[in-house]
This record gives sequence, C-alpha cells and structure tokens, in this order.
Amino acid sequence: MSGDRIRGAFIGLAIGDAAGWPAARHRSALHAPWSRRLHRELDLFAEEHRITTLPVPFALNQPTAPLALGPSDDAEWLAWTVLTLRRPRAEAFRELAGREDVRARISVASALDNLAKGVEPPASGHDNPHFFDDAAAIRAVAFGAAGLDPTDDARVTNAGDGVLGARAVAAAIAAAVGGAPVSDAVEAALAVLPEDTAIGHNARLAVQAGRKAGEAFGAVPALDAALLDHVYSYAVGAAQTVPIALALAEASGGAVGPAVSAAACLAATADSAPALAGAITGACGGYGAIPEGWIAPVRTLAGCCLPELAGRDLLELTEGLT
Amino acid sequence: MNHRDRARGCLLGLAAGDALGAPAENMTPEQITARWGRLTEIEGGGTDDTEYTIFAASLLLRHGHALTPADVAAAYRSEIIPLMTGPMRGAGFSELGTVQALRRGLEPPLTGRVHAHGWSDGLAMRAAPYGIFCPGDPAEAARLVEQDGLVSGDGEGILGGRAVAGAVAAAMAGARPGEVADAALAVIPADSWTARAIARVREVLGDISGTAGQGTTGNGTTGQGTAGDGIPGDLGRRLHDAVVVRHYPWTDVAPEAVALALAAFLAGEGDVEASVTFGVGLGRDADTIGAIAGAMAGAFQGEAGVPRRWAERIGPATGKCLPAVKGRHVLDVADELAKGR
Repeated sequence: MSGDRIRGAFIGLAIGDAAGWPAARHRSALHAPWSRRLHRELDLFAEEHRITTLPVPFALNQPTAPLALGPSDDAEWLAWTVLTLRRPRAEAFRELAGREDVRARISVASALDNLAKGVEPPASGHDNPHFFDDAAAIRAVAFGAAGLDPTDDARVTNAGDGVLGARAVAAAIAAAVGGAPVSDAVEAALAVLPEDTAIGHNARLAVQAGRKAGEAFGAVPALDAALLDHVYSYAVGAAQTVPIALALAEASGGAVGPAVSAAACLAATADSAPALAGAITGACGGYGAIPEGWIAPVRTLAGCCLPELAGRDLLELTEGLT
Repeated sequence: MNHRDRARGCLLGLAAGDALGAPAENMTPEQITARWGRLTEIEGGGTDDTEYTIFAASLLLRHGHALTPADVAAAYRSEIIPLMTGPMRGAGFSELGTVQALRRGLEPPLTGRVHAHGWSDGLAMRAAPYGIFCPGDPAEAARLVEQDGLVSGDGEGILGGRAVAGAVAAAMAGARPGEVADAALAVIPADSWTARAIARVREVLGDISGTAGQGTTGNGTTGQGTAGDGIPGDLGRRLHDAVVVRHYPWTDVAPEAVALALAAFLAGEGDVEASVTFGVGLGRDADTIGAIAGAMAGAFQGEAGVPRRWAERIGPATGKCLPAVKGRHVLDVADELAKGR
C-alpha cells in the first residue's frame, strides 16, 4: 500500500516537473552551449523585429531526445536525495561543491559555495540570497516518503520559508503515503506553517481560494491574483509554490491530472509548483491512479542537472524506501 | 563640531556617494579601475538612495521616537502609492513588492515578508536619518529604523538597516571608525549573515594593515590610495571574495552592501572622499555602498569633510524616484533633523 503511494509521489513529481514549460529549457542543457546561445539570439531577434513568434528550445545538429516530454531538475534532485538519504546532509552536499557540471537552484549553488568556504549549516542555508526558495521542499518529497524529518537537509540550503516549505511538503507526503485523504494531507502541511510567516499566510489564502473555486482549474485566476505579485525575477519561492501545490492538490480531490494541469497554467511558478502538486496528489492516489501514458516518458532521468543520473529509473529508486 | 554640522555632513556625504556611485552600479572593481582609475568626480544626479532617505527623514520629523510601522504604512499609502502613475522608477524589488502587498490590503510585518526580497539593502540605504536623530544612542537608532523596515523588509534587510543606523548614531557622537563598526555590530545579533559579513571584511582589512579601522583624525590626508589610483592591489577582489554571493545576479543584498560600505569607511579611515571613492570602486550596488559610506564618513567629519566640488553638485531632489520628495534639499532635511530630535 505505502509502496504504491510512494511510487505515486515520485512519478507524480516527475509528471509535474515534465509538464511545466521550464522543463524543456532545463533539458536543453544537454545540448551544446552554442545551441542555447542561438536561442538567446533568436530572443533578441524577436525583440528587435517585434515578432510575436517566440523561440522554443530546438535541436539543430543536436539529438532531439532531450527535448521530448520528460523530467528535468526536480526529478533529478529528488533522485539524488534518495541516493544520499541516510548520510549526514552537509557531507552529502559537500561532495557537490566545486563541481562544474552540476546545475542547481540559486539556494543550492550559494550553499555549495558557503560549504566550500567553511560556512556550515545552518549558516550555509541562512547566509543565502535564495534561502526562501523551494529546493528543499522538492527534496522533502523523499523525506516525507521515508517518514523522516527533512529539517537537517533543508537547513543546508535554505532558511525561513524555505525550511518551512520543506517541512510542509514532507508532512503532506508522509500523511498521504500513510493513507490519509488529500484534505488531511493538506491539513498536516498547514499545521507546520505558522500564520505570521509569508508561507503560512499564503498557504491559507491559497487553500481558501481552491475551496471557493471547488476544483483545480477554476482556482487558477484566484491563485494568480492572491499569491503572485509578479515583481521578482525568480518564481521558485516556497511561499508561493508550496501553497499553490497544496491548494490545487486539495481542489483536485487528490487527482494528479487536474492538479498538475492547473499548476502548469500559472506560468510564473510552472518550474516547480506542478511538480509539488504532482507529488502530493500522486501520493494520495498511488501509482495505480497515475495516467498510464505519462509513466514511460517521465520515469527515466535525463542528467540535465546531475549528469551521473542520466538514464536512472526513478521508480527503481523508490525501492529502497518501501 | 556641533550636531547640525555632522547632520549636514552625513546627508551631504550620502547624496554625494549616491551620485558618484550611480554610473558604477553593477560593475566589477576591475572594470571600474579600467574605466576611471579611481572614480572621483560626480557625473550625474543621485538616485533612490537620496530620495528614500529624504522620505524616511520626513517620517521621523512627523512622528519622532513614537514612529510605528502603521505610521510608515500609512505614509506609503498616502504619499507614495497615489503618485505612482506608471513605473516605480528607481525602486528596488523590495519597494515595489511592498507596494503590491499594501495594495492587496496587507499590513506590516506581512508587507515586508510576502515578497522575496526581505534582505534588500533598501532600508540600509535610507537608515542614516535614524542615526542622525539618535546621536550617541545606536540602540534607539536601530529600534527606530526597524519600525520603518518592518513595512518593507525582513530578516537581514532589517539587520542591515539597524547596523547602518547604529553606525551613523555612533559617528554622530564622534566615535572613531573602528568604534563605529563596533556600534554597527552591537545592534545586530552575532549569529547573523550581516554580522558574519562585517567580520569577514574586517578580517581582510586587518590583513592589509594592523591599524585599519582604528581611525585617525580623518583630515583627508590618510586613507587607502589617492585620487587617480584604483583600489590598492587586489583589495577590491579580496573584499568581494569575502562577502559577495557569486551565483546571484542581483546586487542589492544588504549583508553584502552594508559590509562593503563599512569596509570602505574603515579603509578610508573615516575620510569622506577616501571612503566614498573606495566604496564606489567596489562596484556591485555601488550607489548604495557609496551612499552608506558617505553617510558614516560625513557624520564623522561633518559638512567640511565633504569635498566642495561634490557639495556643489548636490541640488534639490528631482523626485524622479519618489515624487513626494521633489524639491527637498538634503541640507534642509539635515537642519530639520538636527533641530527636531
């Protein structure tokens, strides 16, 4: 039973990761750098010529497989977390410091620099311009599935709302894997989010918006209006993505398809909110409820962030957890 | 030197640092040295640093020591938001994020928490008036600036404001540069990013000179380098390595800007020209670093410490960032603060 739900959480996360528009950009990291330079030049061309036809990641003289529907950063960081789950967290991260082939969120990149300079947790996550992002919340899917506290892991790369986001996701996943219905999983997450924090305030606003809409897709405009100020350049703040995922998971009744589809409609947060929504709903419904056509495209990792994970099977990695 | 003289030096130094640093914003120390050697001549006007400082001073003049976050939020709602007819020019992420939060009906401290840039140096850049208002009382200056900061910032952004207000309060009472840095550290927790960043820049400066930060008379004849030279040796690079976040493209991170400004003030031994030119030579958020270094050094040396050729370039605020302060001159604001405390 719990194995089915853990597999559901992991494949649900990978589906959301693949469904968000940034996935193809992350996966295009597997192409030669010049092809991404051409992409930037096409962007400039469109700007200069007032062309509304936007360039998408493309394969010129390059393999096309990386640009097919598939998982990207979030699934790889989840897999890395599973592979290192039982090790002291700073030690696991320290092995990545100084590597030039790793791609990661700003919080993680800054934390790796901190570790290399001798700045240890929790300062490595606190003295960090992106302490608030959801890198740890993504990793927390593994901790929740294993019934472990994500805090020590989260504090390596994050602080404040970034750590709270990890605790909330782990709580929701742990509840869902344990058989709780989605409303209880969402309540378990809300219970660890203080109301006077941005993430706690936003989570309650978002869940209310979802309940008012009564279903996930219908909640999209209200979530955009209530949570996204569209001011800052990087929309991976845990105070936005985790509340959106909780609200859409509940509003979809715990169904992966509606939750992920709706999350992917919020373009600003489409890098990670769909993945988090997919993880929570995947855990609620279990692997058996995953739309079958999605499983094959998303279970195999691309290695676009952690090259050593290319070709690894996400489903196999869940075996150690059950 | 009387209180009014230091107040005028402080805000004049701030405005001069802001204007001097504006063209160097987001550049590296190496690029700045290649282009100007040492950047010593003001090219254009000041920016948001000066205008938000004038706005902060207006809050203090109205509410004094009784200032609350609710007063500050009310001022945003009555004096900033209604005059924003289009873009919010010169504003950092934290200011626009705060305006959006206020428009949504949120109240402080949530208004400073729901946007992702609580660590912005937007409070540190406007903290000087709080120090002027509380000469010799860094703790009260820090408490007061936090009332302002709770509306638009959080965490390290508030600590950056506290550190600068505390430093200016100490300098207003004649503290030496090393004592000014101690005052900044005394009003923030030791277990903070800002405190660790300040400690790291002091360590770098301590390597250069055993007496760095001890201060001299601040008579303009000391300090690191003279006009025409860049920042000596690899000092700029070493200061960057100590506190700059490499993998983050935005430069307005308070722990970094405040530490670099204090480093400039210490390296310049409190002399306005030496401190400010050193500060803007560090690049990154150069106008804010210059403004903060100028405020501390101006408070330390008084109005006479600000080079005349710089003072002559400082006119009334144009209101290009905050229409509410259009026409206000920092020297008038300084006089009012000196009288009003």
